[in-house]
Amino acid sequence: MSPYSRPLTLLAVSLAASLALAGCTADGLADQYKAGSAKNYVAGDGSVTEIAAESRGAAVTFEGQAESGEVIRSEDYADRVLVVNFWYAGCPPCRSEAPDLERLNVQFQDQGVRFLGVNVRDQADTALEFAGAFGVTYPSILDVDTGSVQLAFSGSVAPNAVPTTLVLDRRGRVAARVLGRIDASILETLIADVLAEEPQ
Amino acid sequence: MRTALLLLLALAVAAVPGSLVPQRSSDPNGVTQYFDDNPELAPIVDSLQGFDVYTSVWFSSIYLLLFVSLIGCVVPRTRHHLQALRAAPPRTPSRLSRMPAHTVRTVTAADAPDGDAAAAAVESAREMLRKDGYRVVVFEGSRRSVSAERGYLRETGNLVFHTALVGVLVTVGIGGGFGYQGQRVLVEGQTFVNSLAAYDSINPGRFFREDALEPYSLTLDRLDVTYEKEGTASAGLPTDYTASVSTRRQNIPGADDATVKVNEPLSIGGTEVYLLGNGYAPRITVRDPAGDVAFSDVIPFPPQDSFLTSLGVVKVPDGLAEQVGLIGFFYPDQAKGANGAYRSEFPDVRDPMLTLNVYQGDLGLNGGVPRSVYALDTSGMTQLAGGDTGVEALELRPGETRPLPGGLGTVSFDGVSRFAAFDISHDPTKGVVLFFSICILAGLLASLFVPRRRMWVAARVGSDGSVELEYAGLARGDDPLLDAAVSGFADRHHAAVTGGPSPAGVPGFSRSADRAGS
Repeated sequence: MSPYSRPLTLLAVSLAASLALAGCTADGLADQYKAGSAKNYVAGDGSVTEIAAESRGAAVTFEGQAESGEVIRSEDYADRVLVVNFWYAGCPPCRSEAPDLERLNVQFQDQGVRFLGVNVRDQADTALEFAGAFGVTYPSILDVDTGSVQLAFSGSVAPNAVPTTLVLDRRGRVAARVLGRIDASILETLIADVLAEEPQ
Repeated sequence: MRTALLLLLALAVAAVPGSLVPQRSSDPNGVTQYFDDNPELAPIVDSLQGFDVYTSVWFSSIYLLLFVSLIGCVVPRTRHHLQALRAAPPRTPSRLSRMPAHTVRTVTAADAPDGDAAAAAVESAREMLRKDGYRVVVFEGSRRSVSAERGYLRETGNLVFHTALVGVLVTVGIGGGFGYQGQRVLVEGQTFVNSLAAYDSINPGRFFREDALEPYSLTLDRLDVTYEKEGTASAGLPTDYTASVSTRRQNIPGADDATVKVNEPLSIGGTEVYLLGNGYAPRITVRDPAGDVAFSDVIPFPPQDSFLTSLGVVKVPDGLAEQVGLIGFFYPDQAKGANGAYRSEFPDVRDPMLTLNVYQGDLGLNGGVPRSVYALDTSGMTQLAGGDTGVEALELRPGETRPLPGGLGTVSFDGVSRFAAFDISHDPTKGVVLFFSICILAGLLASLFVPRRRMWVAARVGSDGSVELEYAGLARGDDPLLDAAVSGFADRHHAAVTGGPSPAGVPGFSRSADRAGS
């Protein structure tokens, strides 16, 4: 090894490191932070995660109070496919996707699919007015004060954006997740896929 | 080494712009503001990566060069040091009197040890030096001598210092990529859950993965703020902030109570939760003309001055004939200034008042485009009250209700809660950085305070049977105690050889002038 090759190797290594550190790849989450829009929520990019039946986690059990005051429990949805949507009234993509969600709710109603909202920021009156304005007929749990539903769903397939939409299989396990505003046809396919699974 | 120092200086200078211009990494809203305030300058600053100083090409190249320079310095020195550790001390110089520290002692024939006096004297010197921590080797020849060297720890410390410095840089540079730092504002009674959806904003490290968030929830039960009430200059200064929180873990029933104070973060789920800001969140209810509630919520109003005059935006998207936006000022202790404008006189709630400017029209929320919650885009809206409308801004005391202009409905100010702004950060490098920092300190202390010196003792038997002992020392690096060390050792050794204490004046002891180091 010549006396000069070692510094050259070091230079090469440090250049490689500088590229890695300076970062040539775009990172959506970091870009959102750097945008400094003060929008106050972490947006999703519409990315879809589907989990095969054999690799799903444990059934999620939750309990919370809906806008009406009624207590909603995970047991209420036993043996049903459940679509859970995390939202709040002041979040632009949530407003934009609300009509699509309600349409799918009506469409899959007869096949036993149920929809449930989880409001992460608002109080009852605000949430009710939102439902009235967009004709949403399914209930929402108000989670801003207790966080219990968000806690129950956090972990490996967590609601990592507002809005997040989860599809739960008949055993209450998360089968699919959409981060960000849903694409109605994609969510429709996700629901249909889970619905088509053999009841167990 | 000089290169490294110059680069370090360059790094310090290059870091200066980072404190003059807001940085995207720490203050993204400040950058947005800067673009608004300096529309011509901002794009130039941006093209020079002035808003991302610490990840800019020019800043990175300085610290990477520093890196290379440090490594280029440490590697050859380590190799050299390892060789030195294995090598024996060098041969005794023939003329010890030329050494910076030199002294001579004479043992008379009567006091000299029996047998080979020179060998015995050198052997005792060897033994004493070895006990003092010197590495020793005995040379035989025209005269017997022992060559000794100590203080390898000095160079070891120096190398540990530099290596640990590189260690800190690498750990922070790469390990920091696995961390994240998020922010969330909570009004008393609200709960934060450590999942992305619950953050207001989050700044992820380069290697951040979403499943790195450990599930837990944190409820802000109460925020207590104590203000100084006495004094003219100090009245109103906050003396204590205490956030009482309760935390829950996933699938574990029950909650744990805890407190978060400024600079006393709460450690939970691999994160540190810091209390960074506070302010007031008025509870506002808006009703339609029929009296049905369209909107009811506590809205955090960010403080604008030290007496917590606070400015907030309320967006009522649903339930009224048109969308309504309110821009409000909250004064915890309302007073009227000389110019007629309201201001707050004390940061605690004493005489609270809320004033509201009213807008109606499109809030811009339905297009799916992100909007700031702390600003109202009034471009698609009509102002109904406040400002130049000719209609007074609405003024409300707690419990009061006022009609909204235009028969839209009513607005009520139900009361006020406090909000806390939390910073939730996960830094996996902390332990490693602490380890390297301790190494840096220990290495630095060793390299500063461990003297590195060579010492020689040579013995020659004179024709009269007396033994002349020569002592010499050589400092490697700065060593103000070298002379004292050499003469001190000479005294001790002389005493040991003659078999008694050796204060000056003892028979058989003659002292030649110590040569001061030159």
